[in-house]
Amino acid sequence: MSGALPVIPPKSRLLERVPGLIGALSASPFALLMLFGFVAPLLCVVWFGFMPSKTFSLLQAPTLENYETIFNQTYFKSILWSLGLASVTVLILLVICFPLAFAMAKIFKGVASFITYAIATSLFVSENIRLFGWVIGFMKNGVVGGTLAKVFDVQVDSLLYNIPVIILGMVYVYLPFMLFPLVLGVKMVPDQVREAAFDLGASRWQVFKKIDLPLSMPGVMIGSLLVFVLSVGAISEAKILGGQKVVTIASDIESEFTYAQNWPLGSALSTMFIALTTVVVFFALGRFDLEKLLGKKPAE
Amino acid sequence: MDESAAPILEVANVTKRFGKFTAVNDVSFKIADGEFFTLVGPSGSGKTTLLRMLVGMEKPTTGELRLRGKIINDLAPNLRPTCMVFQSLALFPHMTVGKNVEFPLAIRGARESERRTRAWELLKLLHLDPNRYYDKNVTQCSGGERQRVALARALAYDPEILFFDEPLSALDARLRKTLQKELKDIQRSTKKTFCYVTHSLEEAMVMSDRVAILRSGVIEQIGQPDEIYASPKNAFVAEFMGEVNLLDIIASGDTAALWDTGRKPISLTLPAPLEAGTKRKLLVRPESLRFVSPGETAGNTVPVRILNQFSLGSRIQYHVEVTPGCTLTVERLREERSAAGADAVLGWDLADSQILES
Repeated sequence: MSGALPVIPPKSRLLERVPGLIGALSASPFALLMLFGFVAPLLCVVWFGFMPSKTFSLLQAPTLENYETIFNQTYFKSILWSLGLASVTVLILLVICFPLAFAMAKIFKGVASFITYAIATSLFVSENIRLFGWVIGFMKNGVVGGTLAKVFDVQVDSLLYNIPVIILGMVYVYLPFMLFPLVLGVKMVPDQVREAAFDLGASRWQVFKKIDLPLSMPGVMIGSLLVFVLSVGAISEAKILGGQKVVTIASDIESEFTYAQNWPLGSALSTMFIALTTVVVFFALGRFDLEKLLGKKPAE
Repeated sequence: MDESAAPILEVANVTKRFGKFTAVNDVSFKIADGEFFTLVGPSGSGKTTLLRMLVGMEKPTTGELRLRGKIINDLAPNLRPTCMVFQSLALFPHMTVGKNVEFPLAIRGARESERRTRAWELLKLLHLDPNRYYDKNVTQCSGGERQRVALARALAYDPEILFFDEPLSALDARLRKTLQKELKDIQRSTKKTFCYVTHSLEEAMVMSDRVAILRSGVIEQIGQPDEIYASPKNAFVAEFMGEVNLLDIIASGDTAALWDTGRKPISLTLPAPLEAGTKRKLLVRPESLRFVSPGETAGNTVPVRILNQFSLGSRIQYHVEVTPGCTLTVERLREERSAAGADAVLGWDLADSQILES
């Protein structure tokens, strides 16, 4: 490029600082909210975990007795249940949602927005109410059992209170959180790139493996992380549909704070669980560099 | 077409309809082995639809596509020994230059060392230094480099016919010219059959052995670039070749005719006799027009006023006015310069004009 650039008059120092000032001012309400609504309580919880068991004061000498309790008892079981249920939910949702997301992004035209509204509308109803609806459906002589008995003369016992029904509930509740990021992810794959791969001899499966999946990875990652983080802290599905057949870590924590009145132990469990989730999430984020996947950063 | 060469691809009475709209209407042509064939047409002429049928991304409504005599209408693109370079190039953004070029080889299951050797060769052929480009991310390449990667990737597939969907249209004029010549060189050295689609007849003329001109889903003319230039079949083809003068004429018996200039008709002499009352277009190329000095004779002479002159390098282009609103384009060599704003007499020889249907 040639030609004289327009001469920019030197800015006054105040002018240079004003945008920064305005930015800081407009960000401060949110910063304060996060500080007092999120960071401070979180620090309280972490600190409470080091207080002696069954006490209600933050002003005591710190101790590790709560963590000893956690490792000596069987809390690891509920942690494993939570992680396991969350992982299974993520996997099932990936399998269910990818074809639907592909159809919504590439094939359906008007129907796609109808599906979006239909799924978004289901979010207007509280999760617990929806789960109780499932209870009515699956309980003994409920909608499903009753229909089977009347129409096919098949007697079924209650379909509730088992692990598959818990997973079914979780898959149902967290479906939108997987589907919508996936739709965005699949939309990012240009049609001509897919056609080019096909034209260069790739079969449909190879196009999926080598083009669709890697290029829609940002959507896959965001959806999986959202569902994982939400479902690992899930409590209602196991309680309402599972009837305490399985105890998740979230319900352990809840009972420490309520029935057991052991706040320090509940806090220690929370702290450990937050730390564990953070490690899992960062591990996943580290393995899949989003910017590299988006093609903004060169491969090392 | 060179009749001794067997046709590699035969398009026989192919029609494509989308609902009630006919995009391609009963088109037939043959492409010879090793030929550089170009389909030219303005947007909406059906050239892209035709191309998509040739590569297998659309199926013809009626008609047959034959590759070396075998009907390939229903053969999927991944099973056809043909390959296309897309307008958007459609490079794989999550892969390096090397991996892009190796893609068709990897799909075929070639060994790593073999893939790498071939990619290395192809990058060299396309003037991309493999040491610098093999591991480079395609998103960091410039427009011209990306063109070359796309071509290398298509060549790696080793197709019998390579199709191009206006891949050069997004580049600046100079780079486009360079790549046109390179493309022609590569076609010659690889002896592959190239089938190119473009809206620019100029581009088609530079590279092609044969050109087919499409209008509204029908082939208007097909032939060697020189043939088409020398004798365009109708006014559409002539106009498509660039700046030409097409005069609306009504024959008035034998070789006499009237030129409808919008104001007063001007009587002209035609190069060939025409039945009185028929309406035609008279093609006179800008370079066939010359300024006639007093005493000199020409087949036809018209008094004009010079409106404007533009320098085209070695030549000067004049816009001259015959009657208000009726202008002609004249191109002369630089040394025969006339002044703008002046009145002049324009003339042309009868042999330099052609009667065309509109």
